[in-house]
Amino acid sequence: MSSRRAFLQLVGGSFVLGQLAPPPRNIAGARLGASHEVGHRLLGSTGSAVGAPDEDERCDVAIVGGGVSGLSAAWRLGGRGLDVRVYELEPFVGGTSSSSDDGVVPHPWGAHYLPAPNLEARPALRLLESMGVLLGWDAAGRPRFDPRVLCHAPEERLFYRGAWHPGLAPREALEEEELAELGRFSDEVDALLERRGSDGRYYFQIPVALSSRDPEALALDRKTMAAWLDERGYVTPFLRWYVRYATLDDFGADPEDVSAWAGLHYFASRKLKTPELEASRYLVWPEGNGRLVRELGERSGASFRTGTLCRGVREEGREVELALEDAATGRARRVRARAAVLAVPAFVARRLVEAPEGVLPVRESSPWLVANLHVHRDIDPNHPWDSVLFGAAGLGYVDASHQLTPPRRDTVLTYFRAYGDADVRASRIALRDASWESLARSVFGDLAPAHPELVHATSRVDLVVWGHAMPRPRVGFLGARPFEERSQLGERTSYAHVDVAGLALFEEAQRSGVRAAEALAAPLGLELGESWC
Amino acid sequence: MVQGKREVCHLRSSVIFGSPMAVAERLVSPALYVSVFVIATSGLVYQLLSGTLASYVLGDSVAQFSFVIGLYLFAMGIGSWLSKFIERDLLVRFIEIELGLAIAGGLSAPLLFKIYAAAGAFKVALYGMVAIIGTLVGLEIPLLIRLLEFSLRLKDLVARVLTLDYVGALVGSVLFPSILLPKLGIHLTSVAFGMLNASVALIGTMLFPLPPGTALRLRLSCFAALGSLLFVGLALGDVVRASEQSYFGSPIVYTAQSPYQRVVMTRSARTTRLFLNGNLQFSSDDEHRYHEALVHPAVAALGAPPRRVLVLGGGDGLAVRELLRYPEIERITLVDLDQAVTDLFRDHELGRELNGGSLADPRVEIHNADAFLFLEASKESFDLAVVDFPDPGNYAVGKLYTDSFYLLLRERLGVRGLAVVQATSPAFARNTYWSIIATIESAGFRTVPYHAYVPSFGDWGFVLAGGPGLLQPTKLALSTEALRFLDEATLAQLFVFPKDSARPEGTVISRLNDQKLVPLYTTEWGDWAR
Ligand SMILES: Cc1cc2nc3c(=O)[nH]c(=O)nc-3n(C[C@H](O)[C@H](O)[C@H](O)COP(=O)(O)OP(=O)(O)OC[C@H]3O[C@@H](n4cnc5c(N)ncnc54)[C@H](O)[C@@H]3O)c2cc1C
Repeated sequence: MSSRRAFLQLVGGSFVLGQLAPPPRNIAGARLGASHEVGHRLLGSTGSAVGAPDEDERCDVAIVGGGVSGLSAAWRLGGRGLDVRVYELEPFVGGTSSSSDDGVVPHPWGAHYLPAPNLEARPALRLLESMGVLLGWDAAGRPRFDPRVLCHAPEERLFYRGAWHPGLAPREALEEEELAELGRFSDEVDALLERRGSDGRYYFQIPVALSSRDPEALALDRKTMAAWLDERGYVTPFLRWYVRYATLDDFGADPEDVSAWAGLHYFASRKLKTPELEASRYLVWPEGNGRLVRELGERSGASFRTGTLCRGVREEGREVELALEDAATGRARRVRARAAVLAVPAFVARRLVEAPEGVLPVRESSPWLVANLHVHRDIDPNHPWDSVLFGAAGLGYVDASHQLTPPRRDTVLTYFRAYGDADVRASRIALRDASWESLARSVFGDLAPAHPELVHATSRVDLVVWGHAMPRPRVGFLGARPFEERSQLGERTSYAHVDVAGLALFEEAQRSGVRAAEALAAPLGLELGESWC
Repeated sequence: MVQGKREVCHLRSSVIFGSPMAVAERLVSPALYVSVFVIATSGLVYQLLSGTLASYVLGDSVAQFSFVIGLYLFAMGIGSWLSKFIERDLLVRFIEIELGLAIAGGLSAPLLFKIYAAAGAFKVALYGMVAIIGTLVGLEIPLLIRLLEFSLRLKDLVARVLTLDYVGALVGSVLFPSILLPKLGIHLTSVAFGMLNASVALIGTMLFPLPPGTALRLRLSCFAALGSLLFVGLALGDVVRASEQSYFGSPIVYTAQSPYQRVVMTRSARTTRLFLNGNLQFSSDDEHRYHEALVHPAVAALGAPPRRVLVLGGGDGLAVRELLRYPEIERITLVDLDQAVTDLFRDHELGRELNGGSLADPRVEIHNADAFLFLEASKESFDLAVVDFPDPGNYAVGKLYTDSFYLLLRERLGVRGLAVVQATSPAFARNTYWSIIATIESAGFRTVPYHAYVPSFGDWGFVLAGGPGLLQPTKLALSTEALRFLDEATLAQLFVFPKDSARPEGTVISRLNDQKLVPLYTTEWGDWAR
């Protein structure tokens, strides 16, 4: 009963439209990935559950979790002749930054862009430089990016009151009051972008850990973004929608359930200013951050064991013992490694290992729905990368072929929807139980105001439900001792994940993985040189 | 039926018993006959307009005309059948229907053209329009016969009405190709006939015995319809009219639809024209000016004739024709996205006539590829690159006018190599022209801008882009005898810019992530068209 109600809420306004829209007949597709069933085998276990192993293997470093943080740890250790193995539950690596090339153009399943990283996000710049995307540095010490990778114009458009408008703010269609408030808001966040605390650090930085500890800045973590907006007298519907769109986009949460510190971080953390970044500052590939995942994986020299569930990790003398299970057959396996990195969400990690107080920041997480629509359409030479619908339930869609020339008729559109409501559990259950058909219909329903004909142009809809897509930075997420970044689980075991920072950003995942790897230098007897962070 | 008779009785009784408007009333029957005639003529004209538009846009004129005529006649049948449901106020309905026809028919061509230009559902709109017009015309004739039911015997009445109807059709079909299309063009013919219909309706409101309130309402509607049609007619303006006449004035001799664009070739006694997506690419009577200006100054600036030449765009082979005048050229690599274009100009008689079979020359190698991708993949080095793309009117072509593109181009040019780029009109789009040059310069080129007058286009701009040693050429590298436009004296003039098209302040650099040229170009040309 409660899950049915939750489902109705979840599908929201679009549910009604979805019912009206013709059912997605003649459309292929499936729900893929995110093996929650396999993952849920861990429920009830509290660490170190080791079954009778059939096989034993040994390696230098075992990394559990093949997301960006796990791969970054492997990348940091690469090129030294170590036997590094990555154990990943899913049949593919990448976690929430994975992608697919099953279609006319590769497309993302989660993370789909990387804003030009701040100078302080050094691992990200290092990776981009080795990829040749960062071409060099200008006289002022600022990076220059390959313009082919920056999102080509036009970047985005908004469907507002029946028509498309370039950009996310339809200036010519807004009321004077709304425009004025938008102007006030952008002045205020621009000021925050430059604002430094008493310790000389920026209020908002990426990596988060380098942000200011000024009490005035930290006080922002004690109220919700919605409360902050109220306090500052931001009331117009457009501005409230705009901020909601932002917090959903970055944290999968409504402003009512997000810390104001996090909400403002979204607007005030991107510091890099160069002439070429005046337009789009997004680095975009057809497969989204799947490109970065591939580059990290290739550069790491590690070997990958996908379809492998880790059920426990335990230090035994000078070794770490991992209990693994083949996700398909359920067959148990044991790995002994000289050191290990746990790069899985904290709520999973806590079931695998006995952790010291405060190392595993278990956070509430937001559920997401991602749909990849394989479409055939007429060529529109002015089609943007990102299309957003004002007032829709979802966040709109991006076009995987946007960065490619010449324009093409067949493409994949990736639709995103975050469930920002405070009752994440209800949303998660409803999503878990929803059929492919009802979800696909809700997607078409949500896009129908702008694209009533989309259903006829679509040949395939694949869906992924991310039950635990990303940590939700609720009020107080910075904790009593902010920015500590503790990653040591034991002498030879460390922890990495975006849960450490609490903001699901590529740079944070990467930094966390690199730091976790660097923490293993001593037990591995390695000379890793200067930190990459 | 009974009600209808009463209505007509009312009409007759007022005629019989006399009234202050007796003179006017004597004109009622003739006015109705004139209406039949006008409706017949305009109905046919609307039909021909739709057929012409359809055959231009969809190609295959035989099929389009037969669909349009068939549907129109069928819709007339539906209208005739529907007429039996109109039982009261026949005169009022008659005027209303005439007004409806005025609006539907009058706006049909501008509306359909707009829908086509906006890449809307053209077929649906076209057939919908034909059906509406057919139905309205179909309603009118039976209503008329009923209105005049008692003025003549049935056999005379039917004979007269139908004769007028068919004669009207004949007049329409003679006027359309002989006077209307060549003199007025598609849009104005449409609007003019709409106004004619509305005027006839207006006269009707003055002559017919109508209840005063209704008459006033109808008259106001007539004025509103006339006003809006007049507005549309004026708004279409001279520019549109001129281009449309050239477009539709000459018969279409070739059409093809590729994934990227619609290819249309028209031919009149004087000239052959190529249109891509409705934009004129060249006109055979002055294309020599454009292509001589595109190719020969660049070869002259090289000093020595080139051996390897890259042509980007230019699938019509006309630039290649000019290049082939230099026997020293060993290979020409032509990169054009659209096979529909290169096929037309390599294999089709129409194309070969224009470019002298240049694309079939053994020295020419054709790649149907995207120029950006080609440059990224190519390892070759060229002495000369001729860059001849459509203007940066949208973000897809706009990519070929960015600093990234010019950087790639520079990598493909040998040490002494240079490129020539067509760069829109410095007269119509001054900022765009000079911003293209600023963008080329930002990629490390030295530039020499120049322009030439091409009557079909106006004053047209080009730019030479090369290394630090690039200088304005003074001597052509071939005998000017074979050329029709350029000689040394003309060459020198190309590099002189009058004050109003000289380099302005505040040019922009177009990058992939902003493409500042696209909005700039669209506003500048938009301003011009306004
Ligand atoms: C829909 C969506 C859109 C996003 N968009 C962006 C974006 O545009 N830009 C951006 O920077 N970030 C984006 N993010 C955030 C993204 O989550 C981070 O950038 C980053 O990918 C997080 O990486 P991670 O390795 O820390 O975590 P995860 O991606 O969660 O990786 C953890 C990995 O561990 C595996 N695993 C879990 N349990 C086990 C187990 N027991 N045994 C073995 N393996 C296990 C999981 O399968 C997963 O592969 C988005 C996220 C989502 C969900």
